[in-house]
Amino acid sequence: MNTFFASRPRRIAGLVVLAVVLVLAPLVSSPYINYQLSSIAVFAVAILGLNIVMGYTGQVSLGQSAFLGLGAYIAAYGVLHDWPPVLSLVLCAVIPAVVGMLVALAAARLRGLALAMITLALPIVGVPLARRLTDLTGGSQGRVVSWLRAPEATGLANDQWRYYVVVVIAVVAFALAHNLVRGRIGRSFAIVKENEAVALSMGVSPYRTKVLAFTIASLLGGVSGFMYLAVVQYTSPETLTFFTSINLVAAMVIGGSASIVGTALGAAYYVLVPVLAGQVNSSRTALISGAILLAVLFLLPAGLVSLPRRLASLLRRRPQPAAGAPTPDDATHRAPASSTATTE
Amino acid sequence: MTKTRNAARASGVVATVGIAALLVSGCTRDPATGGPGGDDSGASPGITDDSISLGISSPLSGPTAGPGSCTVAGLDAYIEAKNAAGGFEFGDGKTRQVDFTYLDDTYDPAKAVSNFRQLVNDNIFAYVGALGTPTNAAVMPIAEEEEIPQVLLTTGARTFSEDQEAHPWTTGFVPTYATEGRAFGELLANANQPLTVATLAQNDDFGQSYLDGFNEAIEGSQVEIVADATYEPTDTTLDAQVTELAASKADVLLSAVSVTPLQVGVLTKAQSLGWLPRIFLPSNTSTPGTILQPGGAAAYPGVYTPSFSKNPNSPAFAADEDVIAYNDAFTKYGSKIASTYTPHCTWSYTEGAVLDEAFQNMEKPTRESFMTALKSISGFQAPLLLDGITVDTTTNDDAAISTVQLVQYDGQAGFKPVTAY
Repeated sequence: MNTFFASRPRRIAGLVVLAVVLVLAPLVSSPYINYQLSSIAVFAVAILGLNIVMGYTGQVSLGQSAFLGLGAYIAAYGVLHDWPPVLSLVLCAVIPAVVGMLVALAAARLRGLALAMITLALPIVGVPLARRLTDLTGGSQGRVVSWLRAPEATGLANDQWRYYVVVVIAVVAFALAHNLVRGRIGRSFAIVKENEAVALSMGVSPYRTKVLAFTIASLLGGVSGFMYLAVVQYTSPETLTFFTSINLVAAMVIGGSASIVGTALGAAYYVLVPVLAGQVNSSRTALISGAILLAVLFLLPAGLVSLPRRLASLLRRRPQPAAGAPTPDDATHRAPASSTATTE
Repeated sequence: MTKTRNAARASGVVATVGIAALLVSGCTRDPATGGPGGDDSGASPGITDDSISLGISSPLSGPTAGPGSCTVAGLDAYIEAKNAAGGFEFGDGKTRQVDFTYLDDTYDPAKAVSNFRQLVNDNIFAYVGALGTPTNAAVMPIAEEEEIPQVLLTTGARTFSEDQEAHPWTTGFVPTYATEGRAFGELLANANQPLTVATLAQNDDFGQSYLDGFNEAIEGSQVEIVADATYEPTDTTLDAQVTELAASKADVLLSAVSVTPLQVGVLTKAQSLGWLPRIFLPSNTSTPGTILQPGGAAAYPGVYTPSFSKNPNSPAFAADEDVIAYNDAFTKYGSKIASTYTPHCTWSYTEGAVLDEAFQNMEKPTRESFMTALKSISGFQAPLLLDGITVDTTTNDDAAISTVQLVQYDGQAGFKPVTAY
């Protein structure tokens, strides 16, 4: 963690500032800014799930977009049948979690590329399914919904209300995930990632741990689907394409693998870089996004979350450029960085 | 000692929070959501006495980048050429320059909504000509709610054209897929002879619209569908489907395939099996340079496609005034956006002329007045439209262009008109 926030009061102050900004931001921003902020919250939860299974547990998953899409379709189905939003939210969490668990029960026996192939199949199968099950999904034209309108009593505009809904969900998800990865389960994730034989010898079942990680990832994917529908008000087979999965994985690595703060940064990257690239030149967005991706990976291999640390180490080193060997301080800072950068 | 440090920390904390709160609350949101509204004389956002701003979000990168870029390039060419010639004349007597902003959505609905919000935030007057069914479907409810024109969309999906009373701010531009399918069917039905047809369609509402239109037209005629197959857009090859259809030895193949490489595959596979039916292709996937020539379409007795615009690369139109103007404008302005030609380039150029026509009849600088003007165009022979095809926006249940002409591949780079089967 950043040294500035090492002390408790400072950390609390930081959180309070963050909370104040999160609460006040939609009140003073345009609907466009609110849409961007809400989108960041949506994809932050999807990437959070991905980070739990890939960053913390070290298993490759290329299927997150399928759970995102599944959640969005469940929510859309709920809107059409007038379910209360809370019921939709619960089902958006439970159904993808069950699907994810069933897949993981089979897939978690595999590892590495074989596992990647199984998870890859989810969006590949999901897109034609979504197109074909027209009665449930609306076919390739998708489902347009109009829901989660701001209640009159709040005096808020729709974009502000939706922002609060998704940000509250995201904050809860992040708080739960933060506690999860720091507790007993988080330690079992870490040891399964490092060495499955060691995990087994310590009484941690790698198989069960992986299934659990997948289940949580799918659950968060489904929840982010609910949020997606809340913000975009539309879902279609395009939502769950394989490209979305790949981009989510890239955003996770760029933000910072096995890092809660990095997850949020990754989501900001996912949403904002295409916008920035569009500002530069709308005809060259793919090229510009690719260049930024490479730049980040070269300069910050441990992700955006390592930026303050990286800057600090650069500043510290400048006074004594002659000192050849890295200082012990540097070495201790580097060690976690190199281990988190690997995603197998 | 520790006490003072704690006190200092605490005050630091309070200071940080305070500064953050001040910074955030320093600026307040504009009361009119959706940006600054009409200030003088009730004008809508995005229009002044000498300018009007239009926006579009289309796929400019990714698999749909070719057609997507063209929906921007043709329109940009028309607008920039007209701007350079002095500007657009409006029905209220003023002459305005058009500011045209285009953004890339990579065919992703979430990005399309984001782009639409951004354009609205930047005060566009209207959103025009965007390509893509899912992307436009995602934008439509917002456009309707905020009463922002989302018009002349480059998509043949029925959603945008068939029920305009339900969504008064949205209109489609190009003929629906059902219209194209119907044109095929009518040609066969009018041949008055027993014909067998094999159909290959995308397994979704795009393919279904084609078949619906086709089936309506052949009902009660001597035309019979003897084999049918479907495919998924994610398929990598359609060899299996083509082989199955070839076994029927049908006289005609209706190949409603919307994916460029797959359509090329259909053309090459059928002839390699020795099956040479007459073939019908959708307007989306019948570009000579990218589909017909690579697919060896010259081998077939007839390759038909619906068309409504002149192909600027065809020698038949080389001396046409519209085509010369288009080619000049496109080389100068559009070619920096789209490098390869698809028919969408000419469609969006025509769309520019339709907008021009609407501007000329627009009496007040408001969105309402614009929509009224746009929806009262009829019998307008817009540039680049084939003879006999006109723009008619007065019907509430069809796109601005609701007729097509069938054309036949001439074996080289262009098409010739078809009169009978």
